[in-house]
Amino acid sequence: MRYKTILITGFSSMVVLMFVLLAILSSIHANLSENITEIVDDRYMKVKLASEIENQVNRMSGLLTNIVLEESQANIQKEKESFKKAAYGVKAAMDSLAQSVNLQESMKILETTGYLFESYEEKSALALASAEEGQKAEAKQLIVLETRVIRDQLLRSVEDLKQVQEMLLQEAYTRTNDQYQYIQTISTIFIVSGLVFGVLVAVWTIRNMGYRLKRITSVISQVAFRTQENLPRIQMDTKDEIGDIARAFNEMAESLENHAHQEKEYKQAMRDHSWLKTQVLDVTSSCQGIQDINQLAQTLVNKITPLVNAQYAVLYVRDGQADSQRLFKAGTYGYDAEEMQVKTIEFGEGLVGQSALENKAIELSHVPDHYIQVGSGLGHAKPAELTIMPISHEGHVLGVLELATFLSYSPLQKEFLQEILRDIGTVMNSIYIHMQVSNLLKESQTLTEELQSQSEELQLQQEELRSINEKLEDQYKNAETKAKELEKAKGELERNAVQIEQASRYKSEFLANMSHELRTPLNSLLILAQILAENKDKNLTPRQVEFATTILKSGNNLLNLINDILDLSKIESGKMEIVISKVAIRDMVSYAKQHFQPIALQKGLDFKVTMSDGVPEEIETDEQRLQQILTNLLSNACKFTKQGSVQVDISMKQTDLEAASIVFAVKDTGIGISPEKQEIIFDAFQQADGTTSRKFGGTGLGLSISREMANLLGGYIHVDSEEGVGSTFTLYLPLEHVAESVVDQTFAYLEVAATASGSPEIVAVTEEDEGLKGKKALVVDDDMRNIFALTAALEERKMQVIFAENGREGIQALEEHADVDIVLMDIMMPEMDGYEAIEKIRSNPDWQQLPIIALTAKAMKYDREKCMEAGASDYISKPVNMEQLMSLMRVWLYG
Amino acid sequence: MDELDGDLQHDLERIEIKLLLEGIYRQYGYDFRNYTYSSIRRRIWHRIRIEKLNTISGLQEKVLHDPKMMEKLFADFSINVTEMFRDPRFFLTFRKKIIPLLRNEPIIRIWHAGCSTGQEVFSMAILLHEEGLLHKSRLYGTDMNESVLKKAKRGSFPIEKMQLYTKNYMQAGGTTAFSEYYTVKNGMVQFEPFLMDNMVFAQHNLVTDGSFNEFQIIICRNVMIYFNEPLQNHVHGLIYESLCTNGFLGLGNKEGVVFTTHASCYEEMDGTEKFYRKIK
Repeated sequence: MRYKTILITGFSSMVVLMFVLLAILSSIHANLSENITEIVDDRYMKVKLASEIENQVNRMSGLLTNIVLEESQANIQKEKESFKKAAYGVKAAMDSLAQSVNLQESMKILETTGYLFESYEEKSALALASAEEGQKAEAKQLIVLETRVIRDQLLRSVEDLKQVQEMLLQEAYTRTNDQYQYIQTISTIFIVSGLVFGVLVAVWTIRNMGYRLKRITSVISQVAFRTQENLPRIQMDTKDEIGDIARAFNEMAESLENHAHQEKEYKQAMRDHSWLKTQVLDVTSSCQGIQDINQLAQTLVNKITPLVNAQYAVLYVRDGQADSQRLFKAGTYGYDAEEMQVKTIEFGEGLVGQSALENKAIELSHVPDHYIQVGSGLGHAKPAELTIMPISHEGHVLGVLELATFLSYSPLQKEFLQEILRDIGTVMNSIYIHMQVSNLLKESQTLTEELQSQSEELQLQQEELRSINEKLEDQYKNAETKAKELEKAKGELERNAVQIEQASRYKSEFLANMSHELRTPLNSLLILAQILAENKDKNLTPRQVEFATTILKSGNNLLNLINDILDLSKIESGKMEIVISKVAIRDMVSYAKQHFQPIALQKGLDFKVTMSDGVPEEIETDEQRLQQILTNLLSNACKFTKQGSVQVDISMKQTDLEAASIVFAVKDTGIGISPEKQEIIFDAFQQADGTTSRKFGGTGLGLSISREMANLLGGYIHVDSEEGVGSTFTLYLPLEHVAESVVDQTFAYLEVAATASGSPEIVAVTEEDEGLKGKKALVVDDDMRNIFALTAALEERKMQVIFAENGREGIQALEEHADVDIVLMDIMMPEMDGYEAIEKIRSNPDWQQLPIIALTAKAMKYDREKCMEAGASDYISKPVNMEQLMSLMRVWLYG
Repeated sequence: MDELDGDLQHDLERIEIKLLLEGIYRQYGYDFRNYTYSSIRRRIWHRIRIEKLNTISGLQEKVLHDPKMMEKLFADFSINVTEMFRDPRFFLTFRKKIIPLLRNEPIIRIWHAGCSTGQEVFSMAILLHEEGLLHKSRLYGTDMNESVLKKAKRGSFPIEKMQLYTKNYMQAGGTTAFSEYYTVKNGMVQFEPFLMDNMVFAQHNLVTDGSFNEFQIIICRNVMIYFNEPLQNHVHGLIYESLCTNGFLGLGNKEGVVFTTHASCYEEMDGTEKFYRKIK
């Protein structure tokens, strides 16, 4: 039975007992209170009424007496009234009593009392009536005899009634007392029995519960919480609360056991998982950095096979291209080459091919006897299980792994295989991708190299073509120009001529310098000689004066000679400057007449100046130089003519070849010049005859100077002569002075003329100068020394030179001379420096390709880079090495 | 049909070229068998056109029987394209990155493999001169073609390329005027003789000959582009053998060591200009 039930039953029964007790007590109490009410209300009232009656009766008798005794009518009347009132009261009390009295005995007494009272009233009434009639004695009689007797009787009856009632009261008291006793007894019985019952229930319950809880505690205390796998159970099959506890405990124990079990399993799973991951990581990390598929395959089988306790493994991989359907053996383990000959396997071929085709693993648990043998040195046996697993990446089979083992694989090993194959798939895929990329790169490298080789071949072919072209051109040239062949034949002579020319140039330079140095002391000498010859102090002997005069004369001669040498060397070294202005022909004529008419007259010669029609009023040339030439020619004519005439003819010459020129022909009838000497006479220090000098005097430089000057003025001198008949020296001059180009043309003309006539005297143009000759250079420099030096050097190589003193002028000069071939640009200049000038020049599209050579005094790298940045083609440092400059210019003027 | 014919002709051409090259090798000892097919094919047809022949076999007959024809073909096969300071950045990089590492060497040996007419060797000499290292340098220029070496030995080059060379020289970081180094004579540019003091030109065939010295620097630009992969690897082997540890290899700007068998032996010195350092 459940404790709840027991406790409810126990306590509720006690409650019931209490209720019963209460009911009994309350009924007894009601009884008691009824008795008391009876005693109090009924008996007491009855006694009280009886007493009332007694009292009223007594009063009546008193009153009666009074009335009888009373004389006054008024008092009598008053007494009578009270008497009647008392009678009424007696009657009322008797009525009340009659109503409440229920006991037989009492009723009899009351009835008797009633009768007695009635008779009392009657007698009283008679007494009264007698009293009223005045018969007092009779009334007294009556009262004393009759009414008193009745009254006494009445009072006794009332006393009886009182006694009856008191007896009844006594009875009721006794009864109540009995009932009280009864209540006490009952209560005691109930309380005692209730207590006993309660104690019994409590004792029983406590004992029972204590025992069973102790059992449970002992079981629970047996539980060792470390081992949760085998927990004790509480053996108890009662259905009460402790049974519930036991059951709950058992359930708890079971779930704890389950939990412990699960935890164990979970831990095992964790260990397995961690092993799996570690191994997978180990294998994949050993694959890292491998970029060769074969190496990867070998590494993989070496790693995987022992891990799954397999004894034989072959890894096949897809060959090369991603769309290939063939596998080849790439890695082996425990592999017997003799037994397995297969090298490549097509998809679908055999089990390996099938596995690859379906991308599905194939397992053979019963390997036929001679399927494969796994062997060692000691023997061989067939494996128990054979597994063929595809390696794929995103559903694309990349390889197949074949494994054989003597045992079978644990689930963990199987899981490991699946896992590792998946990872290998990724690794293999990335290797394939890497291989593809690397193949593509390789291909592109090959293509790049091929392109490079093609471009080189093309370059080569271009060069070959060009050289062929050049050869053709050369051949064409050779065939075309006879002159060149002739030139070749005369090679030796030309070289000599060049040497001579060079020697003469050196000589000229030397002389130019020397003459200058000589003139200064000579001038002092002459001045002193003159002072001596004048003999102002008159202290010299005539002989001494003659000596001085001789010194002066010879000195003057020497000075003339030096001046001539100076002129010639100036011309030859290119230092002669010419000043172009308008020159009136008329002035020239009058000059000639003025100077040479007197001389001619003195020598007895005819002197004539003629001018043909068409000769312009004036020409553009250097007046001083023209005068010098004419003077020279005329003085020669006068000098070498003993008799006859000297004549100047001025005329015009017009040819198709060149522009119109003015012609000054100086004719004489002198000694003449033999044809072979006609060229020599123009060379410095040469006269027609070595002895001429002695005969006729003069330096022998006059003609050289004249010819060079004529050249400078853009003209030339021609000689026609016959020995003993006379000579004609003809000066051709252009009407207008056209810079150097005319000189050049003239030279070209001379050259052609010379070649045609086979004269050896032409100036040989070396091949070396070919690159520079005739090219026009612009020199931009603010240092006149440089301009002078550069101009001299360049002109020496038959180049035309124009110059400017700063960048702005340089650009202006370029604009004026479109035919400038090369610019030599100084960097440090006022107004506009070289960098700026070069930049300005380069900004003009016409001058993008114009070679500009920067001349810089600074050898700093920065300076050089700045030149290049500005757009200079090349640079050369100052002071300029002429040889280097010429080489450099040849490079930049090439082509 | 045309396509098929084309294929057949292609095959035939291959056979003929293979036979020709094999014949040349057996007869003359020149080994062109591992030259890039496309290039050698173009050179062969170039010669065939000049000789007004029709087939490769026709050329083969002439080549095998006439040493002069072999000489011509040999000249065709050796493509002598070079210029001074070619790819100026290459020399600039050399100057900036390699020279500082060479300063303390007691002697600097440089091999220009496939130097052709020697412009590159002279460029190097000028560069070393400007860096003050020429006196302790030995420059070896080799080529398989002796006739180009003759030109190289003269130290004089045609004038027409000089404008380009000057530009290259400047871009290559030249420190003075290029004209300091030459004089122009008879249309030829003669370089200063002092540049040639430590210069050696010798015939050497990368395909058939072995290593002849140990060098700090080997420059072999645009030579191996005419070789197929196995031959490139072979030459790389030869270069590797001839290069001292920590020595430098300079290649043409379209070349590289990446795909060769010796890729791992070198570290890259510069991303764009192909300088490699031998590290193992």
